[in-house]
Amino acid sequence: MENYTIEEMLAVEVSRHIHNDEMSFVGVGTGGKAYIRAVGIPAVASRLAQLSHAPDSMIMFGPIIDPVLDSDSIPETNNEYDLIHWPCRSQTTVYDSHVVFKAGRMGVGFVSGAQVDQYGNINIVCIGDYNKPKVRLPGSLAQPDHLAYAKRVFAIIKHDKRTLVEHVDYISGCGNEHREGLKGGGLALVFTELAVMDFNDSGKMRLKSMHPGVSLQNVIDNTGFALDIPEHVMTTEPPSEEQLKLIRERIDPKRKWLNANITQEPTTLTN
Amino acid sequence: MLERKSKQHSVRDAVALIKDGDKVAIGGSLIRRAPMALVREIVRQKKKDLTLYSWSGGMDYDLLIGAGCVKEAWSSYCGLFQFGMAMNFRRGVESGQVRFVDLSETCAKDKFRAAAFGNTYCISKVPLHTSIMENPEFQNIVTCPFTGEEYVAMEAYHPDVAILHAHRADKYGNVQFDPIRMMDNECDILIAKSAKKVIVSVEEIVNESVVVQNPTWTMLPKIFIDAVVEIPFGAHPNSCDALYDFDLEHGRMYRDYSKTPEKFLEYLNEFVYSCLEHESYIDKCGGTAALKKLCRPAKEKNDG
Amino acid sequence: MDRGYTLAELLAVEASRYVRDDEMNFVGIGTGGQSWIMAVGMPTVAVSLAQHKHAPNATLMIGPVLDPLLDDEYVPDANWEYDLIYWPCRSQIPLEDALGIFRLGKVGLSFASAAQVDIYGNLNIGRIGTKDNMKVRLPGCLAQTDHGAYAKRICVTVRHNKRTLVEHVDFISCAGNENRKGLPGGGPALVLTDKAVMDFDENTGKMRLKSIHQGVTLTDVIENTGFDLIIPERVPRTEPPTSEELKLIRLIIDPKGKFLEARITQEAANLN
Repeated sequence: MENYTIEEMLAVEVSRHIHNDEMSFVGVGTGGKAYIRAVGIPAVASRLAQLSHAPDSMIMFGPIIDPVLDSDSIPETNNEYDLIHWPCRSQTTVYDSHVVFKAGRMGVGFVSGAQVDQYGNINIVCIGDYNKPKVRLPGSLAQPDHLAYAKRVFAIIKHDKRTLVEHVDYISGCGNEHREGLKGGGLALVFTELAVMDFNDSGKMRLKSMHPGVSLQNVIDNTGFALDIPEHVMTTEPPSEEQLKLIRERIDPKRKWLNANITQEPTTLTN
Repeated sequence: MLERKSKQHSVRDAVALIKDGDKVAIGGSLIRRAPMALVREIVRQKKKDLTLYSWSGGMDYDLLIGAGCVKEAWSSYCGLFQFGMAMNFRRGVESGQVRFVDLSETCAKDKFRAAAFGNTYCISKVPLHTSIMENPEFQNIVTCPFTGEEYVAMEAYHPDVAILHAHRADKYGNVQFDPIRMMDNECDILIAKSAKKVIVSVEEIVNESVVVQNPTWTMLPKIFIDAVVEIPFGAHPNSCDALYDFDLEHGRMYRDYSKTPEKFLEYLNEFVYSCLEHESYIDKCGGTAALKKLCRPAKEKNDG
Repeated sequence: MDRGYTLAELLAVEASRYVRDDEMNFVGIGTGGQSWIMAVGMPTVAVSLAQHKHAPNATLMIGPVLDPLLDDEYVPDANWEYDLIYWPCRSQIPLEDALGIFRLGKVGLSFASAAQVDIYGNLNIGRIGTKDNMKVRLPGCLAQTDHGAYAKRICVTVRHNKRTLVEHVDFISCAGNENRKGLPGGGPALVLTDKAVMDFDENTGKMRLKSIHQGVTLTDVIENTGFDLIIPERVPRTEPPTSEELKLIRLIIDPKGKFLEARITQEAANLN
């Protein structure tokens, strides 16, 4: 079996959960590992899904709707000029693109976060008390909108105790604890470099599968709350040769996405 | 026929319309098309106690906070995106010097749109069960009289002044945006319509006949505009749609200077206080020739 | 009777006096014939005239076409879609945004016409007859209701007869002065007909005679009004157009009668 990188593993696993005929929202990412989690992996996962079981699925990059995801159409950099001229089927005003959410047509919202708690609440606003934060983060962006309206939300985050916390310090993305009045499905899946998690009937995070070579102790030691552990935990299915070939030759040969080369500051999730 | 009123002003006179304590809405998003030259003039004129509104804040917010002009700010974001973190913003909020009110992207847009529609408030489900409701401004629940569903009531934004950057205008105030542009900046139109006064800096003031050639590009006819100012590269170091890209080098330098308040004062002295005219700022940045490197030729979008 | 000016010219000049500098003024649609002249042709000339005289910054809004160039050389010969799209103007915006201008309080004078107008200036383009006993179903509210709610002032142009000037309209498509609670706009300010000019009493909100056109008698006016018009002690003649104003209209603004004779609709008409 060929060796695969964790980025490839995650892209393949995520792609399995994308349904045909759905719109997925990919947000902004600044750079580095955060970019790979927030943008790179979702982009590759979406293209892989289009090439396999979900040919009608599409993605939205802010106001850039249904861009062409063939590797030779992906811009070289994510400068303004390149983004504006990236071939796509529709560019509308940003608030018309928000209508996709509000009209209930967002299939998957991809998010990342500084903190995610056991109920799937997400925080990208502050660490510490809101009124006197230890670290003030950039802000909620469209995360509240995703979690209010998207049919399903997928989070791709780091698996450590600082990220997976008992309670987030600020709720920018509403989890599964209280959803009265909100139309969307909320956080459905969490993907990390160790495992995949979903949520049990009480809305608490539950271990779904562990990646090959990862031990249960490893997962528990790096989770800041008591994860619901089912009796039998599956092993995340590794990428097939076919899928690796697609990623390496057709979808992301220059690793613009999976190594953030498009940001001109390449990196990986492991270094 | 009587002469028609010209709304073209100098930067100084246009920004003089802003008073201490004003609520100022700023166009653009992230590090895109914020009216940075106007922002620098606000700092030079030492405006105080401003409340800032935007859809998505960036270097505009950070510079104003770092220069001590801001009392309170609302947005869905404040960061320097590819340039790095907005350290003045972080210091300002973490120290309690600036009150920052968080809201999501659609909530921010909705509040501008409500005002643009002539309404005093709007409704949204998005803040429900999130910490957005920690702030008293988001704690009013209203019930739909038709379905009984609950919504959060959000007051419309009513800025005293809106400042934006656009592509061109005639001197009467008809403001145009090219059809090829970054659609993330479209909230600018709603922002302009929500404000009592609107100041727009443009790359170029053109003859009215140029405007008349493409009226669908005039998204802000003159009735919405109080002052237009000709400022080429007026968004620098932000990008201005397809006209010029963001200046990564300058942005990273700004980020480095922002690491401490003392160093940031050096940036302010060098690029803001000592550059009394926009031209001297451009010179400090290497001159027009250097900035032209941020421009790439216009493209026909549909030549596939 | 040959007064040296047409009725359309008289009304255009009278209306132009109410156009204020730096305001946007709304002209709606019209199908054709005399109703087109009253709803569209005459108001367009009124605004253009005002621009030439005292209000150079005043602008016109014809649906989503904002601030068109009004000198005859720029006005298209016909009002086909192509002609309207390419009529030189400073701005064309989505209709939602054009109507939104009303809600922002930026429309000064809004020109309207109607099948019925009552003593309070309520307008009706909805139906003749009651809901259950409808005699004529009319086109519908269009944007008239928005005008009534938000425009600073409304100028109504109609035929002066008992069928039009009624005690109570059968349907209110545009709010008059009877009840304006909660509406930001100023409501009807002026009514122009083929016989007279009316305004509204500040205290009661009821229609009041302002001036009578040359060649028309007071009896004429009263007998053709379906309610008790307030008649002030002294009622002047409607001030006729000056030769300067007529020259502007006939030589520069509308030499070919595109507006005052509806020739742009390709079916000439006149108000006389």
